[in-house]
Amino acid sequence: MKPFRLYEPTTINETVATLSSLSVGGKLYAGGTELLLAMKTGLLQYEGLVNVKSVPELDGVSFADDTLTIGARATHSMVEHSADVLAHAPLIASVEHRIANVRVRNVGTVVGNLCFAEPHSDPGALLLLYEAVVDIASPSGPRSVSVEELVVGPYETSLAGDELVTHVRVPLLPTGMRGAYLKFGYHHRPTLGVGAAVTVVDGKFVDVRLTLGSAPPKPTRLREAETLLHGAATDDGAVATEAGRIAAEACDAIDDLHGSAEYKRHLVQVFVQRALTEAVERGVK
Amino acid sequence: MVEAKEKITVSFTVNGGDVEIQVAPEMALVDMLRDGLLLKGAKRSCDMQVCGACTVLVDGVPVSSCTVPAFEVRGKSVTTIEGLAADDRLAGLTDAFIDNAAIQCGFCTPGMVLAAKSLLDSNPDPSEDEIKDYMRGNICRCTGYKKIVEAIREAADKAVQA
Amino acid sequence: MTQERQFNTVGQSVKRIDAFDKISGRAVYSVDVVVPGMAYAKLVPSPLPHARIKSIDASRARALPGVYAVLTGAELVNMETHYGSDKKDRPIVALEKVRFQGEPVAAVAAVDLATAEAAAELVDVEYEELSAASNLASALLPDAEPIHDSNYCHEYGYEWGDVDRAFAGCDRIFEDTFVFPMVYHYAMEPHTCVVSYEGDRIRTWTSAQHPFLVRAELARIFGMQLDQVQVVVPYVGGGYGSKSYTKIEPIVAALSREAGRPVRLAQSVEESMKTVRRHAARATVRTGVMNDGTFVARECLSYVDTGGYTDNGVRVTERISDRIVGPYMFNNVRVKSYGIYTNTTPAGSYRSIGGPQASWACESQTDIIAEALGIDPIELRLKNLAKKGDQVRRGKRPLEGDLAPKLQMVLDKFGWGNYVREDPSPTVKRGIGFACNVTNSGASPTSTSLVRFHADGSATVYIGTTELGQGSRSVMAQIAAEELRIPLSSIKVIGSDTDAVPYDRSTGSSRSTTLMGLAVHDAAVDVREQLMELAAKHFETFPDQIDAADSQASFKGESLTFGALVREMFGGSGGELMGRSYVTQNHSSGRLTEDPVFWEVSIGAAEVEVDEDTGTVKLLRYVSASDPGKAINPKQVEGQDEGAAMQAIGHSMFEEMLFEEGQFLNPNLVDYRVPTFEDLPGEFETVLIEFGDGPGPYGAKGVGEGGIVCVAPAIANAIFNATGVRLHELPLTPERVWRGIEESRR
Repeated sequence: MKPFRLYEPTTINETVATLSSLSVGGKLYAGGTELLLAMKTGLLQYEGLVNVKSVPELDGVSFADDTLTIGARATHSMVEHSADVLAHAPLIASVEHRIANVRVRNVGTVVGNLCFAEPHSDPGALLLLYEAVVDIASPSGPRSVSVEELVVGPYETSLAGDELVTHVRVPLLPTGMRGAYLKFGYHHRPTLGVGAAVTVVDGKFVDVRLTLGSAPPKPTRLREAETLLHGAATDDGAVATEAGRIAAEACDAIDDLHGSAEYKRHLVQVFVQRALTEAVERGVK
Repeated sequence: MVEAKEKITVSFTVNGGDVEIQVAPEMALVDMLRDGLLLKGAKRSCDMQVCGACTVLVDGVPVSSCTVPAFEVRGKSVTTIEGLAADDRLAGLTDAFIDNAAIQCGFCTPGMVLAAKSLLDSNPDPSEDEIKDYMRGNICRCTGYKKIVEAIREAADKAVQA
Repeated sequence: MTQERQFNTVGQSVKRIDAFDKISGRAVYSVDVVVPGMAYAKLVPSPLPHARIKSIDASRARALPGVYAVLTGAELVNMETHYGSDKKDRPIVALEKVRFQGEPVAAVAAVDLATAEAAAELVDVEYEELSAASNLASALLPDAEPIHDSNYCHEYGYEWGDVDRAFAGCDRIFEDTFVFPMVYHYAMEPHTCVVSYEGDRIRTWTSAQHPFLVRAELARIFGMQLDQVQVVVPYVGGGYGSKSYTKIEPIVAALSREAGRPVRLAQSVEESMKTVRRHAARATVRTGVMNDGTFVARECLSYVDTGGYTDNGVRVTERISDRIVGPYMFNNVRVKSYGIYTNTTPAGSYRSIGGPQASWACESQTDIIAEALGIDPIELRLKNLAKKGDQVRRGKRPLEGDLAPKLQMVLDKFGWGNYVREDPSPTVKRGIGFACNVTNSGASPTSTSLVRFHADGSATVYIGTTELGQGSRSVMAQIAAEELRIPLSSIKVIGSDTDAVPYDRSTGSSRSTTLMGLAVHDAAVDVREQLMELAAKHFETFPDQIDAADSQASFKGESLTFGALVREMFGGSGGELMGRSYVTQNHSSGRLTEDPVFWEVSIGAAEVEVDEDTGTVKLLRYVSASDPGKAINPKQVEGQDEGAAMQAIGHSMFEEMLFEEGQFLNPNLVDYRVPTFEDLPGEFETVLIEFGDGPGPYGAKGVGEGGIVCVAPAIANAIFNATGVRLHELPLTPERVWRGIEESRR
């Protein structure tokens, strides 16, 4: 890795100011599990890394007002084992448990993962299911955007170079809504992730959320498929199949090492249906 | 020569002993341990956090020392394979690995044992599925894994009985 | 005879003698070696798969402070420029052209790795790109740009009987083509060496499997005598054939000469994936049978992809043909194979060379034939299986042991006869599959050993075998302890230092327990016989009257320790006995003259579960077999077999090196998927077969390769049994399986 300078601000404001001054030569650094890999292979190069772990305000995981708040310093491990997460959103704990391996989870952060925007990844599609929001600190003041608006493409976010995501706020699923997240793949990174959250009343879908990750270029909300499912019976196979078909078309998959676009679209069809079934039969918060 | 932009003082504990060493920010933990402190147990293999040959424990949890920068252990406690001889539970783990022929070329072994120790520290009586799940981030190309699972189960059994 | 003997340590799963070194972290591997004045190397790889080198300008690199030397083709003077095992076609550093992406065109030695890496980026190379062939098909096109004089590396074949007439008389003829991918060994320790070129001698510490072959190669390259070259092999972090013969030592030696100081090259995994791999293959098997299942004729045509250079391409081209006839008796055979160059990583040895590729083809077809004839696949195999004493390959050693009982042991362990299929759902299907083969193993019987017996009754054993993880040090110690009649704890093993140990040809082809084991056995017996002579003199009797056990010689109630006998001989407190041995083809009354040294047996049974909607295949159960004749260390034998089978699960299910127009797409562990703990089948067993039918000590023969040979066809046969879909190409990724299922539905 080429030499760099380490900056360790102790407040959010200092962090933003440091980023501004470094301009394109600087980059935020938390766990570094993805960033440092790219720097080691020479794909990315920075003069300075700005360590968010020296900023106490960016700490951990907390819960209040039906919302989980995950700070920029929180590792996947912290989220996976957090008493608050286990109690209020066990689905998140179980998905976090399956990310990469135990060493990556001990070091890598959820916020860092969202901001690196690696397409073959789970947290984005998962948090999209919860309609999570990120708080951003910037020179022009704080702002918030949904995770959906944060990640705009492969390795691409809507953040400016001098902006810092301080927290991701994850509202719990509404009362009565239960979720499931299925992932598929045999590579080190996932090939497909499907999140389904449903509210079922009298055997019918009253509310549905569907998200897709890894196969599309960015975490994607499948609104057209959701609309179709509204009001349908949960055991209506034809509607579920059609929802899967629509989802596959919305997938925008490409051929890559994980498989052909055709196969990925097929997987989307299969897993959207499976995720719905899983959510209906064994969904959790 | 390729000059570092700066040097960072890293004061930490390794295997129970206090150390202070100067490192460049870009120096990986594995290189500080191997070249700076001559602790050669941790190995570099895939260099991408996939294989686990570089596993060391930082404040008791396993990390990929190939990617974690050396400066990250400031004020922390690092355990490498060299530091485990004194640990009682570890003696059980060491014996189990040896008795079950869970070592062949040995390149993965230091990382594997540290990961296993960390598993047993957090889950003293893991099922076979739990072992496979926790250990899936440590690759072995020689043994086919079966004897490593057996070794960890045996170590767990013995510790539970003790 | 050997079955009745009571052993002290042979046959016991004693603790590996290197176990504590390895688990404590103090085991030394090549990357741990530091030599005074050592420089660090970085190779400059070609980004192009096929190109002429127009110019290399290393001036900027040489000018960087801290750089000791940059080696290019221009510096290869007063030395041989090419090396290789069967064909010396590999330039030490690329000369007029590059033939694969990653081929070194220069090498930098500098004060530290960071400087070497920075300098490597400053080497300016101008290329004239040539069209590149990524695979067999493109390399065989008539207008393909020749990679060497042509794209043909080697040709091999043999025949017996009258194949054409036999086919004409068959009831059914089957012809099927199978494809085996490029896969990488992924030894967790990448290729690493330190070389010190010192004018009139060379010293190297290297993770090589065959130190004596490396010594010969370096001596030849630099015009030195064998005694001027020392090759030391510390513990090796995995070999599996990837470190066979000579790989990176020549370039590092030349660089050391240029730099005037020792140089270490520690490759990354990516660089090692660009150093060697397994041969990909395309094999067509044509088999003529009678309706009752009798095998009559077989004709095979195989192409193996040997990459940019030959490496072990000659032998692999031959072995795939040797192994594709299967363990069956055919009276009419015509087999042909070609080794073809492509612009990809050179292919060399990998655990059972040509074996998995051949068996993937022929054992898949066995089930195709069984299905078409309506005969049970096991019955079909048993009907045609070679028996003990059969010339399963004409002109080669007859089969040493009966195969049918060995197959039955695996089938019984698997519960084949009692299997009741239970599909979890209409789209998730289960099935079972089987495969078996025999492979010609043992390489060359050229081994020697030395045993020094010390004045305190302990002993040191010298072996050329390298310790790759297979446990050779321990096995040799056990054999020596057994024959010396001393405890295992009194044995030290010194290995793989060409200055210290006597000659052994190589570590590979499952030969070490058999051949080096015989050498150690004989050298230990030599010492024991000398001790008996000394004891006889002491007790004034004959050697055959002396009882030797537990480090003591006894006669009529009196005993003397072995150590005392040695001291008595020298008349003081010191002294030493030496035992030596030679294993050549004349050993064992000429038993080793026949080729192969022995036939390694391979058997596998698999149960799979296929999710037809996604193509995902779960390997529920796998039973393998290990046939060591006599297991010197049973747990180590099992471990080798389990490891081999797991590597095969890799190439069967998901391992694949992908090249596109010569560009290597996945040269790293994130994108190249190797098996993990989660790939362990729910049941994973090895049946240990010990019929004492090997030529090694106590009826032993080699193991370690059989386990990798039959996994793929057993799995594919199980998938067929489960779904009715026959797949011809590995790996059996979910997409491939899904496509196979979809196609079968049309």
